[in-house]
Amino acid sequence: MGFDLTPVLPELFLLVAGLVLLVVGVLTREGEAARVVATLSVLALVIGSIIIAASDKSPQLALGGHYVADGFSAFLKILLFVGAALAILLAQGFLHDRRIARFEYSLLVLFSTLGMSMMVSANSFLALYMGLELSALPLYVLAAFDRDNLRSTEAGLKYFVLGALASGMLLYGCSLVYGFAGTLSFDVLADAFGAATAERPPALLPLGAVVGLVFIIAGLAFKLAAVPFHMWTPDVYEGSPTPVTAFLATASKVAAAGLAVRVLMHPFGEWTAQWQQVVVLISIASMLLGAFAAIGQANIKRLMAYSGIGHIGYALVGVAAGSERGVYAVLVYLAIYLVMTLGTFGCILLMRRQGQYVEQISDLAGLSRQRPMAAAALGVFMFSQAGIPPLAGFFGKLLVFLAAVEAGLTWLAVLGVLSSCVAAFYYLRIVKVMYFDEAAEPFDTAVHPAVTGITAITALATLFFIVWPGPLLRAAGAAAAALVR
Amino acid sequence: MAEVLYVAQTVVIVLLIVVPLLLGVAYLTYAERKVIGAMQLRQGPMTVGPWGLLQPLADGLKLFLKETVVPSGANRGIFILAPMVTFILALIGWAVIPFGDGLVLADINVGVLYLFAISSLGVYGIIMAGWASNSRYAFLGALRSSAQMVSYEISIGLIIISVLLTAGSLNLSAIVRAQEGLWFVIPHFPMFMLFLASMLAETNRHPFDLPEDEASLVTGYNVEYSSMAFALFFLGEYANMILMAAICSILFLGGWLAPFGFVPFTWIPGPIWFILKICAVLFIFIWARATLPRYRYDQLMRLGWKVFLPLSLLWVVVTSGVLVAFDLLPR
Amino acid sequence: MIAGLAFYLFAGILIASAVMVVTSRNPVHGVLFLILAFFNAAALFLIAGAEFLAMILVIVYVGAVAVLFLFVVMMLDIDFARLREGFRRNAPLGLVIGGILLIELLLVAAAWRFAPEAAALRLQPVQPDGVTNTEALGRVLYTDYVYAFQIAGLILLVAMIGAIVLTLRDRPTAKRQDVAAQIARSGSVVTRRVPIGAGLAETGIARPPLPEAPKPKQVEHQGGGHH
Repeated sequence: MGFDLTPVLPELFLLVAGLVLLVVGVLTREGEAARVVATLSVLALVIGSIIIAASDKSPQLALGGHYVADGFSAFLKILLFVGAALAILLAQGFLHDRRIARFEYSLLVLFSTLGMSMMVSANSFLALYMGLELSALPLYVLAAFDRDNLRSTEAGLKYFVLGALASGMLLYGCSLVYGFAGTLSFDVLADAFGAATAERPPALLPLGAVVGLVFIIAGLAFKLAAVPFHMWTPDVYEGSPTPVTAFLATASKVAAAGLAVRVLMHPFGEWTAQWQQVVVLISIASMLLGAFAAIGQANIKRLMAYSGIGHIGYALVGVAAGSERGVYAVLVYLAIYLVMTLGTFGCILLMRRQGQYVEQISDLAGLSRQRPMAAAALGVFMFSQAGIPPLAGFFGKLLVFLAAVEAGLTWLAVLGVLSSCVAAFYYLRIVKVMYFDEAAEPFDTAVHPAVTGITAITALATLFFIVWPGPLLRAAGAAAAALVR
Repeated sequence: MAEVLYVAQTVVIVLLIVVPLLLGVAYLTYAERKVIGAMQLRQGPMTVGPWGLLQPLADGLKLFLKETVVPSGANRGIFILAPMVTFILALIGWAVIPFGDGLVLADINVGVLYLFAISSLGVYGIIMAGWASNSRYAFLGALRSSAQMVSYEISIGLIIISVLLTAGSLNLSAIVRAQEGLWFVIPHFPMFMLFLASMLAETNRHPFDLPEDEASLVTGYNVEYSSMAFALFFLGEYANMILMAAICSILFLGGWLAPFGFVPFTWIPGPIWFILKICAVLFIFIWARATLPRYRYDQLMRLGWKVFLPLSLLWVVVTSGVLVAFDLLPR
Repeated sequence: MIAGLAFYLFAGILIASAVMVVTSRNPVHGVLFLILAFFNAAALFLIAGAEFLAMILVIVYVGAVAVLFLFVVMMLDIDFARLREGFRRNAPLGLVIGGILLIELLLVAAAWRFAPEAAALRLQPVQPDGVTNTEALGRVLYTDYVYAFQIAGLILLVAMIGAIVLTLRDRPTAKRQDVAAQIARSGSVVTRRVPIGAGLAETGIARPPLPEAPKPKQVEHQGGGHH
């Protein structure tokens, strides 16, 4: 076994960077610290991504088998690091305007990302749980980061209490599975339950282990904000500072989805039939709730919360397929979702009136006259999220539904298509408000260059994904193949 | 039958430890008054018996004969329980203290952890007393005291870790044996100094006796206590001092070992050396009380968290680094 | 035999005090019973031969966590009668949910079937070759589980940063003590060696002159009234 730390290099680098930046932040002058630490954190995340991209993609175990680095984790980690870096960049202007610019923001994002990257590399229930907690704890603090704002503290508290409950459920499920298998390691788990060998077909999972697995799925569904564990989402999304919401909606969900895929496909890959109906149920409920509940929303952050619930429903369709093709579709979906969502939050951060950030959908009226480019970008994101071709969002949905059809879940795919038609209604309503309603007051013209830049780049990526989809699809294909061996 | 004998034997040993200990507590109060008196150019107690030698007994008798008053607003059960907890905790720590080679009631292999656990429980007697008295002064004293004791426990824990690393065992007798040749006070001298100061804070003694600050709290958590209940607090506090002194001499001053391993010193038996070392540390307790002014509460906390904690943590790192680098790890 | 008796004694007190934690009317009593429960759990660990865990349970939970609990509960001003009102109202619903959970658990227990490999993988609490369990724990903790151990440390660090972020406020009016500046101060304080028993006059240390006391004002007396 030994202590070969090469596979852990990206995490190790982020960890050391985080600790060093903590000291840097404390020692730098008060006014400078936030900016310096943010810049260095983004740099650290970029270097981390480069290390992953350059590393060996063949599966390697490390640290007593609790950690695995393979193509699947590498793909997700790059997504996470990019998402986190963009969340830090998006935040700087906002935090400065709200007078809560403190260097701890970047550090907490950095540590949370570290936890997420440990999550997607987890190869045992112990590592899974520790990574999950490390990623969740900074998020609770970040949600309450605007600590003098009542809604922000409420968001933090709500997220914390419900998150602790979900952790409890997850842990209970892990302990049940451990009780029946006698091991925590994903590699050994399948054998312990009597996986298929040359002589015999796979044994049925013991009932206790199935109950445990359901608890684990419930705990992960909370992190994913999937129905019926979505109750926290609208309030937390609305109350948290907008860049934090962006981080919650992207990186956190991507990590949880990656973890769910790994748990379901790796140790329990042989027993697809035994967990499929749970995932299908969650998926349907999320798609429908995401489509219908969002219609009545007036606040755009709440709307994004419901939209995110719906998106997770679609992603879970791919998980329910339980095949390599399904995993591939989920990975592509997550990557596109991350880009679209970050872009949308960039647009939300562009909406300011008299120095105040506005969040109501009605406030968008007249955006197309005063800020045509911002309106165009938001329009692109809305069309893409609705799944209208030829934008990126369409391809994500297409792949997911194709995978479901291939796995014999045609009815699920049909349901998905129907619910995305309903969802298109509220996405298009936003476009209508932007382009056809009269403006009440003018928007501020001063903008933060980072926010504009990120919005522009993500909008272009969403728009022109069809031109050059190769690299993303190839990487996702390799990642899926690495997981489903 | 064998079990009955075993129980009887244990009871006798316990009495052999507890009775001298209580006598020691009584004469520690006498010594304290005499030493402080000498340092302040006074005589101390001189009236009862020759040189006032019977003074502690007279004090005890006085407390014993007074009426026990339970305040009407007090939470009766806890009010009475609190002094007992303090007193009992001060006594049970002695179960694992080795007085000589093999002279120990319970030679358990996590002795240090046991002592640490017992000393971390000491706070309960005080916090229970403060709360149950239903009095502002008492409660304030209890709050101060628990915050202070919890804070200093951390640095004590880290100091103990440095010693454990060097000794390679959690057993107290083994720690003493590891000091044959070189007492830990020499390689760990800075930690010895920190331990002395933390020890004062942990037992709520001068200059860290904020919990019983007469000037601002009219003696703090035990203000509502009288008679034997007060006496139990008093006994517990002084027994704790002796226990801490014993721990200090075991961890740093070589327990029962003679200072030099050759003839005139080895004639004197181990327990005598041990008691002499305890007396020396107790003298430091008294000395500090006679000479140092009381700390302010924020300074006390600052000292614990911002000075002692980083220093002791650093020393753990240094110790383990040196032990590994020069291949000095025990075993 | 003594071990058996001790086990039932500690287990009995443990369960009784756990029940008292939930049922006692006074929350402070509840916490104190919780502490008693921790103690007895530690004693059970001792009987099982896990002395390290027993001591750590006492040090960490009783010595640190429960103290903070006690702190908070003592300072809280909660009207527990009002909390109980809700309890009455919600009790039927709670009973129904509890009943469903119980039935589910019974169903699971009926179908309980251990994987055949589970028994072989079970670890032994007491090592046969005389290794103390402190050492045995240390060996596993710093080799097989070093990853989880390190992440746990990291989580604690993040918790600390989070607490500071959410609560630390720099008040401009706060006065901070600068110890270095105090120590570096010189000139205004002089140390002198004073022979024992000497008075101020003999040592030549002059006491600063007292400020002139203001002369009492003459008050005009009007008539013979008292002041």
